Amino acid sequence: MHQITKITGYIAIILIVLSFNFFLPRLMPGDPLSFLTGDPSMDMPIVLDEETRAKLLVYYGLDKPLLQQFADYMHNILHGDLGWSIYFNAPVSEILIGRLKWTLLLLGTATALYMTFGILLGAISAWNRGKKRDVGLLVSLLSIGSFPPFFLGMLLIILFCVNLQLFPLFGAKTPFMRYSSPLDEATDILYHLVLPVTTLVICYIGDVYLLMRNSMLNVIGEDYIVTARAKGLSEWYILRKHAMKNALLPITTMIALRVGFMISGMIFVETVFAYPGVGRLLFDAVTYRDYPLLQGAFLVITLVIIAANFVADIIYVRLDPRLQHN
Amino acid sequence: MSILRITNLKTWFPTRDGIVKAVNAVDLEMKETERFGLIGETGSGKTILGMTIMRLLQPDTRVEGEIVYKGHDLLKLSEEEMRKIRGKEIAMILQNPTTSLNPVLKVGNQIAEAIRLHQGLDKRAAKEKVVEMLEAVKIPSPEKRVNEYPHEFSGGMRERVMIAMALACNPTLIIADEPTTGLDVTIKMQIVRLMKEVTKQRSMLFITHDLDAAAEICDNIAVMYAGELVEYAKTEAIFKNPMHPYTQGFLNSLPNRGLKPIRGMSPSLIGIPNGCRFYPRCDCAEENCKINHPEMVELGNGHLVRCLLHDRS
Ligand SMILES: Nc1ncnc2c1ncn2[C@@H]1O[C@H](COP(=O)(O)OP(=O)(O)OP(=O)(O)O)[C@@H](O)[C@H]1O
Ligand SMILES: [Mg+2]
Repeated sequence: MHQITKITGYIAIILIVLSFNFFLPRLMPGDPLSFLTGDPSMDMPIVLDEETRAKLLVYYGLDKPLLQQFADYMHNILHGDLGWSIYFNAPVSEILIGRLKWTLLLLGTATALYMTFGILLGAISAWNRGKKRDVGLLVSLLSIGSFPPFFLGMLLIILFCVNLQLFPLFGAKTPFMRYSSPLDEATDILYHLVLPVTTLVICYIGDVYLLMRNSMLNVIGEDYIVTARAKGLSEWYILRKHAMKNALLPITTMIALRVGFMISGMIFVETVFAYPGVGRLLFDAVTYRDYPLLQGAFLVITLVIIAANFVADIIYVRLDPRLQHN
Repeated sequence: MSILRITNLKTWFPTRDGIVKAVNAVDLEMKETERFGLIGETGSGKTILGMTIMRLLQPDTRVEGEIVYKGHDLLKLSEEEMRKIRGKEIAMILQNPTTSLNPVLKVGNQIAEAIRLHQGLDKRAAKEKVVEMLEAVKIPSPEKRVNEYPHEFSGGMRERVMIAMALACNPTLIIADEPTTGLDVTIKMQIVRLMKEVTKQRSMLFITHDLDAAAEICDNIAVMYAGELVEYAKTEAIFKNPMHPYTQGFLNSLPNRGLKPIRGMSPSLIGIPNGCRFYPRCDCAEENCKINHPEMVELGNGHLVRCLLHDRS
């Protein structure tokens, strides 16, 4: 029963998101063709005459009534057709699939790192509450966390790419490179990944750290922690085996929401580092008023966020045995 | 031979409102295999005394005096040495089994971890031992229940788990903090019988409000009031011949003895005035009770009382 409500909920959310996804871009000023027709305010060289413009509108179905457009849109999505990108002149789904792997790599690595370290440091901080270690962590994590991602990204680029020349400046791979082995390729990809991931981790770790620290402070005062001490267990053991799970319980959902917050940072980071992911694509789609692409990118990002929540739900139930039986 | 000797023990909490003197100059001695009852109303410092012995209080607590266990002062041990005592030599059953068991860990594992730590058994051997322990505390179908979580146990069963946990490493001394509170009468009697059975060859500090349980289990009883011991005697003497007005009042407040509550409220533990601590509530109080703080005096036969009415010096 519980499972069914959950799944219905997820389906409802996806439907709502799809509708938003359809209507939001249409609320933006301008239309995709104003870009191609050389809107004088945009300083674009391509100029379409009125006739071609009308043809294109018909071709993309933009002349139909809004509701009809919506019905078509839903129909196509259910058939895996996300439309044709106006700017790239290619199927949106194809473009997205090409970009998604980079975003998942970037987002996945950054998420894994900032969550692991945020949770660990938050727990250690709380366990040493008021001591030097706690204060040191608190001050340093809160201060580095206050950088906006694009600013931090640029700082890192100037420092590590321009001045120290330790890391590549942009992209996910070195262009036109011939790799001698898969390992070689992996190393190259890793090199390109370091700075974007670092930026995201630094920007988002403070949040998870604070959540965990607060939650852990509540757990520390619980009776079962005293029981564990009364058994003669070591502090580190108690922290790992007794406190961690309990402290994570109330914050798994909140932490999953953080993946959503990180999307905006990811768009900045992918743009600053010219990383070929969905975030960068989204940025381009907005610039070029490429509705189908924009919708496709939104859709993918939303699905990623929903997936993160889904995972959090599963983890939550696994952490709390009281939920498994009801 | 004495197994535990506490001398002039003070446990003070520095707080924003002042120093909370939860345990004040307590002297106490327990013999081997003695079952020692500690009774007193809520807030009198019983739990804090137990936690002080185990050194489980937060680090900023001020603790003074001596707690000599088998010849060693526990207050002088390093934290690491103390960890080898906890659970192995001295085990504590915490007051509330509902909050004292970890809700996200299997009951069996919570018992097994102490066994694995102190006796170095491997996973399988420890699990066998756990089943044995659950059997010893009379939990039905223990093989199945080791894999269950605390919320699947009833109140009485949780208390049994707490007892099994304490017994797991065969400790010499058990500090049991109100193991019968919150249970209904039949379950309570079962737990009392169980406690009595499993502590036959051990020493136990039995903290309780429940005088019936104390009478059933304990050899000697100490009465605590506002952080001090005010009377100590053989169990029989406490019930038949209570000497301190507080003990008398406490007994009279029991349902089967008239249900007459002691007037007034238990005093604050911050800024305790001179004189007898029970003075404001005492029906027998005299003028000098307000000024002079009574010392513990022996009335013969090991019966000690802290009351100026009995202090002939
Ligand atoms: N950390 C602390 N800081 C300040 N005061 C405390 C602290 N812990 C306990 N106290 C105070 O110490 C006193 C003794 O508490 P304790 O828990 O020992 O009472 P108790 O006799 O066990 O009562 P009960 O029968 O209700 O369990 C109480 O007044 C309590 O408010
Ligand atoms: Mg208590």
